[in-house]
Amino acid sequence: MEVSYDKESRKIVQAIERFARKHSLWVLAYGTGCGAIEVPPTMTSRYDAERFGIRGAATPRQADVLLITGYLSVKTLKRVIRTYEQMQDPKYVIGFGSCTINGGMYWDSYNTIKLLDMYIPVDVYINGCMPRPEAVISGFIELQKVIAEGKAEGARKYKENLDWYRANQQKIIHNWNMPDYNW
Amino acid sequence: MEVKLQVENEILDKIKHTFHSAEVSIPRKQRVEVKLRNDLIHPFLAYLKDTLGFKHLSHISTVDWLEENEIELVYIVMNYDNLVEVIAKIRLDREKPEIPTLREFWPQIETYEREIHEMYGVNFLGHGNLTDFILEDWEGIPPMRRDFDTVKYAKETYFNRPGREDAQDVRTTITKKSGEEIPELAKVYSVRHLE
Repeated sequence: MEVSYDKESRKIVQAIERFARKHSLWVLAYGTGCGAIEVPPTMTSRYDAERFGIRGAATPRQADVLLITGYLSVKTLKRVIRTYEQMQDPKYVIGFGSCTINGGMYWDSYNTIKLLDMYIPVDVYINGCMPRPEAVISGFIELQKVIAEGKAEGARKYKENLDWYRANQQKIIHNWNMPDYNW
Repeated sequence: MEVKLQVENEILDKIKHTFHSAEVSIPRKQRVEVKLRNDLIHPFLAYLKDTLGFKHLSHISTVDWLEENEIELVYIVMNYDNLVEVIAKIRLDREKPEIPTLREFWPQIETYEREIHEMYGVNFLGHGNLTDFILEDWEGIPPMRRDFDTVKYAKETYFNRPGREDAQDVRTTITKKSGEEIPELAKVYSVRHLE
């Protein structure tokens, strides 16, 4: 059933939605590259990311945040795209480490991508090689701010510009034998 | 002081006695280096494994000799009793490198051979599983060959963040902005950008 709100009550509902979303960020337990090693200390007792509502999720369909921890080879990128497309709205992507920003130390590698945001939309980047758990938490707080302001529009951007993203993805993934997920 | 290489010399003598065409040398303690004819690698490793007790395959390595148009395969096997390692080297034609597989001796060799097939394009006859391993859908010459231009390929295939191409030196940029001079001590590290 479609419920229609007037403008004022829509604003209130959206604020409540965003408040709820920003305080329960479930991170998909999927590590690429070397950055995944910084996630366990972030999650466990010393830095205790659960204070901010950040927890692990087992499957893509249960997760809100996809954390790209480090370099992505072409082979991994294919899996990441598939994972990202399986995730349900609302979904956010955090690029973690300098490899996702400009290639980092793998800038001349024959098999790693350099710009993550040409293939999937990224909401927040955390720089560093590797970022410490403090930086990771600060990145998550940044994401919470972005969500609260309603600017975390990565998933919508991906849907609207799907052709552009597909063209970039298929430029390097030649054997495209993946299902099309209909959100 | 003269180092006694009794065990190594014994192995060297046995190999020389059995394989007359092999060039054998002892680079250092616990190492015996053997250069072989291509077709002898099978009987040679079988002899090492079954008769001399070299039961452990440490590694296969590959060297691309671009100038000599050859690809070198380096098999390293070890003996647990005297801890000697034998390094067996063979050279294949670079245009069409082919060698029978050694899966029947050590099953774990399959992984090494798959990787060498992918990275250097060496064809292991009778392997049966030379499919995609680390690279997926790779087209063109294998990436570890020396005539493969990695930087060019990376620039053509993947997107570059603007501002990266000029590769500015931080030290030079800051000193230009502030109007200071780079200290002599630090110039060593900025030579490339000062030219």
